[in-house]
Amino acid sequence: MVLDGIDFTAERKKITYVFGTSGGGKSTLLKILIGALKPDAGAVYFHETDITKLQGRELDPFRKKIGMLFQQGALLNSFTVGENIALPMREHTVLDDNIISIMVKMKLELVGLRDFEHLLPGQLSGGMRKRVALARALALDPEVVFFDEPTSGLDPIMASVITKLIADLNRLLGITCIVVTHAVEEAMRIADKIVILYMGKVLAEGTPQEIRSSASPIVQQFITGSPDGPISFHASSKDFREDLIVG
Amino acid sequence: MKNLFGYIGRAFITFLQDLSSVLYLFRDTVVQSVILVSDRKKRKQARLLAYVDEIGTQSLLLVLTVSALFGIALTVLISFQLKEIGGYNYIPGFVAMAVFREMAPLITAVIIAGRVGASFTARIGTMKVSEEILALETMAINPVRFLVVQRFIGLVLALPALTLLAGFTAVFGSFLFGSTRLGIRPDTYLRETLDVLMFRDVYSGMVKAAVFAVVIAMIGCYRGLVVAGGAEDVGRSTMRAVVSSTLTIIVLDTVMTAAFYG
Repeated sequence: MVLDGIDFTAERKKITYVFGTSGGGKSTLLKILIGALKPDAGAVYFHETDITKLQGRELDPFRKKIGMLFQQGALLNSFTVGENIALPMREHTVLDDNIISIMVKMKLELVGLRDFEHLLPGQLSGGMRKRVALARALALDPEVVFFDEPTSGLDPIMASVITKLIADLNRLLGITCIVVTHAVEEAMRIADKIVILYMGKVLAEGTPQEIRSSASPIVQQFITGSPDGPISFHASSKDFREDLIVG
Repeated sequence: MKNLFGYIGRAFITFLQDLSSVLYLFRDTVVQSVILVSDRKKRKQARLLAYVDEIGTQSLLLVLTVSALFGIALTVLISFQLKEIGGYNYIPGFVAMAVFREMAPLITAVIIAGRVGASFTARIGTMKVSEEILALETMAINPVRFLVVQRFIGLVLALPALTLLAGFTAVFGSFLFGSTRLGIRPDTYLRETLDVLMFRDVYSGMVKAAVFAVVIAMIGCYRGLVVAGGAEDVGRSTMRAVVSSTLTIIVLDTVMTAAFYG
């Protein structure tokens, strides 16, 4: 079982950061939140609707209200940057092509990449791809944007740029942001709420200050990133000597 | 022995599961095709005929070359037998019938399964690995309508057309060899061909080609959509798509030949 008894609320117009160890169920949680995976039990409420009960096309109204920034961007490689951003608008609105073209420019301006509209995703750097993917996630002016490891694999400057973008989206546009990440410092800087997952459960939740002052040694190890602590470096369950002797 | 039965049993269950999934995808594709074709705005955006062009131009030279060579090879083979009885005049009719009824649909479909079906699996599989398909779903865009319908329509239109061209090219190859090397007079060749060849021969070949197109498109796309791992699984799925399409084509060809001419 990857997740067990997870219970938390991400408040409207706030930034919620979820972090935990690698393989700790963060990506699974995100897939459940966007309706891509069904949990064996439990519910995910978006407003008053339990999205785990929705099937196929029933999820469409919910999905038109959310945006998702995938870890690798997940841009369509055969489409240009502009076409990628225009896609949700073309599919779900009756807007004229000229209006869509203006909207695409506006979204690209938001992420600082207006000059790159006609390039293919393959011609962009990792950081730029993520920014374009963010512009696409914002195409339909969503209420909630989910971020899967938005800063992983980026240089420190680009990571700061993305973190600032998340903060700006929330403060300026009132978008609810749910960010799944390893990046503790970034979370401490801009999060309204932090949820720490450990062994498939919620270990702690609260404001950055509350998390920082937590008495739990596991939480402290998470925050400081210390190699020594209750979370062991060794993932093996068997004693090393015993394992060598028995073979 | 027990292992053998277990293996056969498991393979049979997997086959039934795959078959039901492919049929489900086919139903979904037909429904989505109707929705797309009947919606003017979406039809314009979807560039429905883009794949007709891509499949046609990518594969035309290969299909025509193989067909011409096949027409020549078939003529050489029969001429060995007919030489003894001086029956070269039977060659045009036999070649035309064999080509249009059987060989043009079969050879073209097998080439396209390897060329186009494999590329469908590889492209869609790679999109699955890079989460592009999940991204489409998250944007409330139906992946079947977005990825499968174009390929399905493209192949159903392009394969019969390619098959027809392959048939004429094979006959032309046979005509060139027969008239230059076997001494069959060109006008005799043409007359004998038209005497034997019926509209039904050409028509049955086209029906076969359309059915093969459905098989290649559905298996190719299905294998891409079910890729679960990384690059290795894309390779494995592509190989399985080519093998299962080719096998299905050969089985259906036998069934349809028996139904048309049995």
